[in-house]
Parts: sequence; structure tokens; C-alpha cells
Amino acid sequence: MHAMLTLAELTSDQELIRKLLFCATLLPLVSSIFTLFLGTKWLKKQTGQFAVSAMAMSFVCALFAAFKFTTGDVEPFTWAIPWIPIPGREAGYLYLGLFCDQLTVALMVMVTLISTLVHIYSIGYMEGDKRYERFFCYLSAFTFSMLGIVTANGLMQLFVFWELVGLTSYLLIGFWFEKKGPQQACKKAFVMNRVGDTGFLIGFGILFAQLGGKVLLPATDGGMFDAIAAELGGKAEIMANPPMWLTIAGIGLFFGAIGKSAQFPLHTWLPDAMEGPTPVSSIVHSATMVAAGVYLTARIFPILTPAAHLFVCIIGLITLVMAACMAVVMTDIKRVLAYSTLSQLGYMILGVGSGAYIFALFHLVTHAFFKCCLFQCSGSVINMAHHQQDMRYYGGLAKKMPLTALAYGICTLTISGIGFGSWSFLSGFYSKDGIILGSYNYAHELGGWGSLFLWGPIIVAYITPFYMARSFALTFLGKPRDQHLYDHVKEAPKTMVGPQLVLALFAIISVPWILPWEHMIEMTQQSLVANGVTWIPGLHELHEAHHGIAAPLLFGLAGLLMIGVGIWMYKDGFGKAEFLLKKVPGLKILHTWALNKFYFDHLYDIFIVKMTKCFAGICSFIDKWGVDGLVNVVGLWTKGLARFTGGFDNKVVDGLVNGAANSARAGGQALRTTQPGRIRVYVSLLFVGLIIALMFALTLVAN
Amino acid sequence: MTMLALFQPGLYHLLAVSIALLTAGVAVILTKRNAVGILMGVELILNAAGLNFVAFNRYVWANAVDGQMFTLFIIVLAAAEAAVALAIFLNFYNNFDTINVDQADELQG
Repeated sequence: MHAMLTLAELTSDQELIRKLLFCATLLPLVSSIFTLFLGTKWLKKQTGQFAVSAMAMSFVCALFAAFKFTTGDVEPFTWAIPWIPIPGREAGYLYLGLFCDQLTVALMVMVTLISTLVHIYSIGYMEGDKRYERFFCYLSAFTFSMLGIVTANGLMQLFVFWELVGLTSYLLIGFWFEKKGPQQACKKAFVMNRVGDTGFLIGFGILFAQLGGKVLLPATDGGMFDAIAAELGGKAEIMANPPMWLTIAGIGLFFGAIGKSAQFPLHTWLPDAMEGPTPVSSIVHSATMVAAGVYLTARIFPILTPAAHLFVCIIGLITLVMAACMAVVMTDIKRVLAYSTLSQLGYMILGVGSGAYIFALFHLVTHAFFKCCLFQCSGSVINMAHHQQDMRYYGGLAKKMPLTALAYGICTLTISGIGFGSWSFLSGFYSKDGIILGSYNYAHELGGWGSLFLWGPIIVAYITPFYMARSFALTFLGKPRDQHLYDHVKEAPKTMVGPQLVLALFAIISVPWILPWEHMIEMTQQSLVANGVTWIPGLHELHEAHHGIAAPLLFGLAGLLMIGVGIWMYKDGFGKAEFLLKKVPGLKILHTWALNKFYFDHLYDIFIVKMTKCFAGICSFIDKWGVDGLVNVVGLWTKGLARFTGGFDNKVVDGLVNGAANSARAGGQALRTTQPGRIRVYVSLLFVGLIIALMFALTLVAN
Repeated sequence: MTMLALFQPGLYHLLAVSIALLTAGVAVILTKRNAVGILMGVELILNAAGLNFVAFNRYVWANAVDGQMFTLFIIVLAAAEAAVALAIFLNFYNNFDTINVDQADELQG
């Protein structure tokens, strides 16, 4: 038996926080199991309220833990219990536990809050659905998985919850599995995620091969990769001369994030995931699934080598620009938001890659609030408009749904990053701005073609307000384009409007001068820096630079300008846009491309699905004629042999036995005639025999 | 007396009587169907053998008594045999109501 791992004793504050986080993580699971078994029998229509109260309790726990953590000046800590014994490895066990630093706590609060609001929203949205209870079971399980990722104590544990997120998202996206769309969307999401997970496992395998059981040890106070850094002789040394395998391992792990956060090569599942119920979209696109990828990238940050950083940045940049272009042309309101999410995730990934660690994670939080709100608003509209999702049939809905329009408007402003100089009343400005600064810094370091990393985010900063204003104008402003639909629309029920307004409020008050999100994440970064993560150019100067550069003015006002343009263009429907399409050369082609999602689905269909099918056909042919043929030949041969041995057995062996029996019987038949049972015969035979014997004896004597 | 003295019976005479007895016995056995008759034929054959023993003892080894001893044994044997055989016949008679040996073919192969 191996020696147990000894971890530092927790202080009483840490112990309290540990218990709180423990409760916060497990409450959704308890709620999920409870609703699974008792939902339809006992809770029935109260299932929603029950799940909401469990989530709210979870939120209170997380909030209290965060409060304790920030005010009590508590050090990050780790806690683990042995889980599965692994003989022959220095770790001795797989550990199950909890790692807590500022980032964990901040994300816990964010996830539980948003999940609570989504649960409340679902009560209204899912009302009357025949699997009402089941929905809350899945939703709680989904939240639990995400909380598990956030509190995970090591890569292995993270991976377990990572897969749980994949599973539960599959169940949720395919919640209306009677329809063909959700069926395919959930499969697509699942398969795409598996592709990413393969990368994750490869990365993990490389680390395991190079470092052995150390990778399985729970995170210590410095984060998940302390042991790895120590093995390689300190973090500064690693990055001065990074080994090739570390780069590949980093990219491999990042590939998991590509799958979960729907980055460039694997991005196609996210827009399709719109097929799920809207509450699912709102939580998938904000707090849980896609956030997991960014969170993972942030956690593996210490082992990303410069080359891996470049890779991360390129992926982020491609996603960012491409998705923004697609968002401009979509007419389905949820698809606009889906591509907007892709684009914003591109920002985050680019942010982490380029070293704007704080701002990327800060953007994760702010984006979670406003994107969740936007989705809930769109869900309200769709629900009221009899599941019509196409914006071409909307228009002028602000009069009918003023509160929804208000929430949508606030979030549009937030995502656009409106700001004045270096100050704003909206959180989006601070986070997005920071990312652009980070990429500016990175572009500056790289020089040459690296300036793409500067121009990409800036251009998208102009596109984002435009498409958001477009969707706002098409939905809520102007004249109704479908009078029938317009007449039926009314404000959504309280359970749906309430969460929207709360989220819009959080989109505002998440600004650094009200809520301490940014501060908490910054503390995480500081502890990273204290642990020697210094290879990102200008990482710690970035925050200072934030206040000393004129650029924010430009972007902040750009947002305002582009919103104006967007609203002006689309206030009265598509007229102006179509005019532009006709007049400006080349725009039409771009429009068609973007409308067809740059043909990625077609490309995947041709290069992956078709080729796989072709390959499968060849394999099937070989199997049928080659392998099966061989088997059949062997079979026939065996059959022939069997027939031969059977004949031998019947004829020769049995023949011998029967022959012996037959000859014995014939002999008996022949001999029985000498035993007629008459004494006189016996006696005469006796005498005949005697005479013969005598004559024989006489002949012998005579000779 | 003289005639008797002239007629000195020798070994061959005795053997001739013995053959006559044997032949008569065999003939009886072969012809009789009555079990008791057959028993009598057997007695004749046994007596022929006994006579042979006595004759050879007298004319070949005159000082020995082995032949006489054998003859005595044969007489005893014949008595015992007659007892057993008669017991068998009685049982046979009880079961089959006859002592015709042609009827006793139960052990026929």
C-alpha cells in the first residue's frame, strides 16, 4: 500500500468554505436525483419550484463561500480523499476532491446564479410540456456537472465531469426527441464533443507518459500543474526552452476546449444546438457548457508553451471573425445569438491565448449574464410568437413586450461594449476591451503578420454592435411585418420576465466598480504570477495599460456608432440591406457564403461523412469477401473433413465391431447343432471321438 | 476238471469279457430311452473298466494291489453315481411325468 498523500491542514475558514462549496456542488445532484425518482409521482407541477429552491440554496452556499473567501483573506486550498487505488503508481490513488481559489469561487457564484435564473425561467417556458419534470432533472444534472468541472481537483476528475456535461447536454439538446431536428442536433453535439475529447485524452496521455502518476495527483495550492512544473525544473525554465511534447500536450488538452467551447474546426454543433428548448440554449451558451472550454483553457494556462499559445490565438481569431460574419446574415433570431456566442467565445479564447487571462475570464462572466439574458428574451419572443423564430416575421414587438425589449436592449448595449473613455456603466466594455488590449499586446510582441491579432478583434468589435442592433431593430422596432403574429404577442409571464430583468441587471452591475468579479480573477492571476507564470509578454502590465491607452475611447464609441448604423438600416425591415447587397460588388457572394455557414457543414459532409462512408464500404467489402470468404473456405474444408472421418467411423470402426459380433454369432449358430440335447447323440459322439482318438494313438504307436 | 484245467483263462480272455461288457454298455446307452436302462448301461461300462484294472493287476504287476484298489473305488463310485442319478431321475419324473431321456432336452443349444 502506498503512503497516503498528505495535504496541508485547512484552517477553520477554509473548512467552512469547503463544506459550503461541497453543498453547492451536490445540491443540484440531489435535486436531480430527487426529481428523477419522485418528480412524476409526487412533485408533479411543483417540480419546477423544488428544483429552483435547490438551486437557490446552492447559490446561497456559493455566495456565502465567495463572501467568506474574499472578506476573510483566505488562501487558495485543496482538499482530497482517495478514490480509486492505482497500484504501482507513485500517486497510489486517484483522488476525488475540491480545489478552491478565487476563480473557482467566482465561477461557482456565476454558474449557480445563472442556473437558478434559468430554472425559474424554465418554469414558465416549459409549462405544459409532457416531460416537464424530466426537464428539471436534466437541467439540475447539467448544472451539477458544470459545478463539478469548476471545483475539480485534477485533470482526471475534471474529465469525469467534462464527460458528464457532454452527456447531459446531449439529453437536453435532444429533449424534444420526437422531432428530427433535435435528434440530429444532439447527436452532432455529442459527436463533435467526442472529437474534442479525443484531443483531450491524447494531451492527457502525453502528460501521463512523460510524467507518470504525478499528473494524477490532486492540485496543490499553486494549481493543477504545480507537480508538472516542478518535474521540469520550475516554470521559468520550462518556458525558456519548452519541450516539444509539452506543446503537443497543451494543444491536445486545448482540443477538448475546442470541442466544448465550439471553436473553429468543431464549431458547427453550437448553432444546431438551438434545436433544444430555449432555456437549454440560454444555459449552454452562457454559464455551463461553452464556459467549460474557456475554463479548461484558463486552467491549463500554466503549461501552454508559446507555440501552444499561438495555436490557441489562431483558433480564437478564426472563430471570432468567421462567426461574426455569419451572425450578420442570419434571420433566425436564435441563430444570430448562437453565432454571436461563437464569436464572443472566440474573444475569450483569443484572450486566454494572448495573455489577457483576467479579461478573458471576466468576459466569460459578463458574457454569461448578457448572453443568457439575450437568449431568454429571444425565448420569450419565440414562445409568444407561436414558435416562429424567423425575424422576418417580427417587427415592432417593443410595444407589446416592453420589459423583454428593455432587457434585450440593455444586453445589446452591453455586448457591444459601449463605453466612454476608460469608464462605462456596462460590464461588457471592461471585459471585451481588456481582451482587445491583450491581443494588441500580443500582436505587438509578434510583429509582422501578428498584427492580424490586433485587427481581427477590432473589426469584430465593429461587427458585433451591428448585428446585435440588427436583431434588436428587426425584432422590436419598426412596423410589424406579420400583423397576425403581432396581434397575438403579449408580454411573457412573470417567471420568464423576472429572470431576464435580473440578468440584465447583472449585465450592468458586473462592472468592476460594483461587483468584484474582475478583482477575484485578478487575484487568481496574481497567484499564478507568484507561482512563476511569467512568460506571457506584458501580462502584469496589461491591467495598468488598460487605463493608459486611448483605444478604449475608440471602441466604446465605435459600439455606439455601429448600433446607430444597425438600427438605421434595419428599423424598417430588409429594404436598405437588400439595396446594399445589389449595389456593392462582392457583397452578394460574401452574403451567400455566410448564409451557408461558409459551407462548413457541406465540407464536413463531403470530407468526413462521405469519406467515412466510402471507407466503411471498402471495409465492408473486404469483410464480406475476404474475411468471410476465408472463414467460409475453412468452414467448407472442415465440413469435408468431418464427412470423411464420419464415413471412416461408420464403415471401418463400426464395421470391425459388427464383424466381430457377426462372426461370433455365426460360430455360435454352427456350434449349436452339436448340442441337440439328446443323450444318445452325446454318447455316440463321445464314442466316435474315442475311436478317433484311439486310432490316432495307434497310428502314433505304430510309427 | 481237466477241461477246466486245460482252460487256463489268461489276460486276453479277461480283456475280451471286458470289451463285451463295454460294448454291451454302450449299446444299452445308445438304444435305451429309459433313464434307468441307461444307468444300467453305465454300470456295465464301469464294470468293464473295473475288470480291466483287476486283470492288468493280476497279469502285469502281480505283487501290487493298485488295480484292486482302483476297482474298489470304481464300485464305490458306481454306487454313489447310481444314488445321485436315481435322485435326478426321481426329480425329473416329478416334473415331467416320464423318465424318457429324449424328453430331457431343456438345455438344448
